[in-house]
Amino acid sequence: MLQYLVILLDDTSVAYCHAENPLKERYLISLNTLKKAILFGMKENLMIQYVYPEYDLPKEYSELIESIDHIKIGHDIKVYNDVTLSSTAGTAILRTTVADFISKQYDIAAMLSQVTRLIICLKDAELFQDEQIEQYKKALSTLSAMVLNLRKSDYQSEVNILTDRLTLKEMHNCGAGDSNITLAPNGKFYLCPAFYYDEKMGISNRLNHHKPSSERSVGDLETGLQIPNPQLLKLDHAPLCRICDAYHCNRCIWLNQKLTWDNNTPSHQQCVLAHLERNAARTLQQQLRAVGLNAGEEIKEIDYLDPFDVREKF
Amino acid sequence: MSTIRKRNDVWHEKMAKNITFIVTKDCQLACKYCYLVGKNEKERMPWNVAKAAIDYILDHENDPNFAYDSVVWDFIGGEPFLEIDLIDRICDYIKTELFRRNHQWFNSYRFSFSTNGINYASDKVQNFIKKNYNHLSIGITIDGTERKHDLNRVYKNSGRGSYQDVVCNIPLWIKQFPHSATKVTISSADIPYIHESVLHLYGLGIHEVNINCVFEDVWQNGDDQLFEEQLMRLADSIIERELYKNFSCSFFNENMGKPLDCKLQNGNWCGAGRMLSIDAEGNFYPCTRFAQYSLRDKEAWIIGNIHDGIDYNKIRPFLTLDRCTQSAPECIDCEVASGCAWCQGENFDAAHTHTVFERSTAICKMHKARVRANNYYWNKLYRKLELDGQREEFEANNAHVKPEIS
Amino acid sequence: MKKLVGQVTPEERNEIQALFERRNGLNELAKILTADNAELYEKLVNDMAETSSKFQKWWDKMSQKYQWESTKNGNWEINFESCEIYLVN
Repeated sequence: MLQYLVILLDDTSVAYCHAENPLKERYLISLNTLKKAILFGMKENLMIQYVYPEYDLPKEYSELIESIDHIKIGHDIKVYNDVTLSSTAGTAILRTTVADFISKQYDIAAMLSQVTRLIICLKDAELFQDEQIEQYKKALSTLSAMVLNLRKSDYQSEVNILTDRLTLKEMHNCGAGDSNITLAPNGKFYLCPAFYYDEKMGISNRLNHHKPSSERSVGDLETGLQIPNPQLLKLDHAPLCRICDAYHCNRCIWLNQKLTWDNNTPSHQQCVLAHLERNAARTLQQQLRAVGLNAGEEIKEIDYLDPFDVREKF
Repeated sequence: MSTIRKRNDVWHEKMAKNITFIVTKDCQLACKYCYLVGKNEKERMPWNVAKAAIDYILDHENDPNFAYDSVVWDFIGGEPFLEIDLIDRICDYIKTELFRRNHQWFNSYRFSFSTNGINYASDKVQNFIKKNYNHLSIGITIDGTERKHDLNRVYKNSGRGSYQDVVCNIPLWIKQFPHSATKVTISSADIPYIHESVLHLYGLGIHEVNINCVFEDVWQNGDDQLFEEQLMRLADSIIERELYKNFSCSFFNENMGKPLDCKLQNGNWCGAGRMLSIDAEGNFYPCTRFAQYSLRDKEAWIIGNIHDGIDYNKIRPFLTLDRCTQSAPECIDCEVASGCAWCQGENFDAAHTHTVFERSTAICKMHKARVRANNYYWNKLYRKLELDGQREEFEANNAHVKPEIS
Repeated sequence: MKKLVGQVTPEERNEIQALFERRNGLNELAKILTADNAELYEKLVNDMAETSSKFQKWWDKMSQKYQWESTKNGNWEINFESCEIYLVN
């Protein structure tokens, strides 16, 4: 069920998830489109998340933006594209590469004490290789040690790839096209911003080889949402994910389509990363419990990193 | 002993890796129902591509994707025997390499062909058959009576029917491969000739007729009734002439037309993704039906190539497919679901998004018609056996017949 | 004339089936390998001898184990699907 409407206020709105925003030219959403978008959100009972560009919006937008409950990504929630030690924020998003996550693990751990919640998002998850497993484990372990110390000091530090799994009892994924939908400045809906970027960059949608098209929209404000095969965006139609207990996994639909060509099928990289994080969360859970701290329901020990390898057992 | 002839078992089914060489995209024929929409004379597999593909596959003996006890090397076109020289060279190389490498497949391999039969009797093809006889599986496609066959199976340039050029090779084929089966395809136009065609094929000495309706959305109003009538006439003839003792037709299967459980009977119908198909460019596909020449609308689903190997992410959707995830609620709840087939390639081509998880239902009414005729067949057959005092014996002998889907 | 005289286990069937397939493979390979390819040719010749020997040993062992009926000019055949042994005269 849809719960969130993500509104990209400009083509250059900040990237806040896996996909980079390759669009460099400003294209501000029109006031009329923004009005209609807000109205759509109100009527569909959706929480609005505005995604801001780096420049200041014209004044006339403020009144409209403030006319409804919302979250401001890029403002309320800061987005960092590099590790920084000067951030002080409630919730921050750190977009980093696998290599930087590994090489800057101590700096990233240090960020945990400066925010209440750090959301780490890998910009190049698709490039992760099995040879990096041990290094990734080590970096997670560094983060985990910091979380443990902070919590021992009564600081409820949160980092999505470690602590979310402690509290989740079921899958809680990105939900593109299922729990949230994105409206682009052109007034069209997309499963998430990444699909809009692909369309704008002319990347083929692989649907028609006679007339190659990069069309990715799933409706517009005039005609409403028309998501083809919406069932394939839901957990019960994802054979690997519905048997998985890496509940915090992004289950990124865009990465699925990019790497496996099917929206409901995660890549090996996504599964392995999520399981390394899940297992690190399990270790953290045991450590928290050992010092008498609450750490949620027990995470069971498993002997695989990719559910695909054990799919026959389910 | 009283038996109902069952269909031949597929050689080492489920234990064998199926590797398909698309040796050419050319064919003498332009069959009207052919799903190969991009046939052409240009894309012929060069030897160096075939050799590189074999080397890649045999170099990856320990890869889970190739960890099968047996292998079927399949040759497909177009018409594969147009490239008999290449095929001969490929097979020689495979045999030699399997032996040289002490590969386990040397103890368990087949070369498989599906041919239009036109140049079956040529010296080159016959020499190839003699040379590899114990490892061959060759199916010739003959569609039935001359008028049924020639309705669809026509030469690409002249439009002339090919029946006479194929039927003359059938005796030699049956002599060489007495247990062979033919594959008959039914499209809308040839429904009226099903009855006469199956009987005609039996008359030619072909004991097993594997027949199926095309999966594409070609069916007209009333086709299902006409289809049902034809199958019932066929049922009458098979039973009255007691042809069931020595001949089989895949239209009639006792386990067809039952509801299926989403937990216990959730397997995928097709082996796409477990197979590997290679084209003239050296590209790999999960099945030939995902190569561009097979697809009307979608872009080819290339899973790798001879240079870079297989991108395993691209076969994950295929290897996680199950029946219920790809089926619409009407199929999941269908009371006559068992035996209803699908082609993963056609599903993909017809899908609204880029997915293999959307099952086409174009064949629905034809399947239901088939189920009705199938029920008629078995009810009539068992009643006849009862009256003849043979039912118990038949049922005992028929107990091992496998269901169509598990 | 064919007469059913016994049956082997599926595991025993697998042994002889693999040898049967290997023998067929070697025979067909022999049609294309020449002495020019000395290394492979020698490997083939040795393998043919070894496989034939294993093949005969299997029949000797099984006939000993199951004591199948035999005749002077007859020979046994196996049905790979059913694992049944037939005496063929």
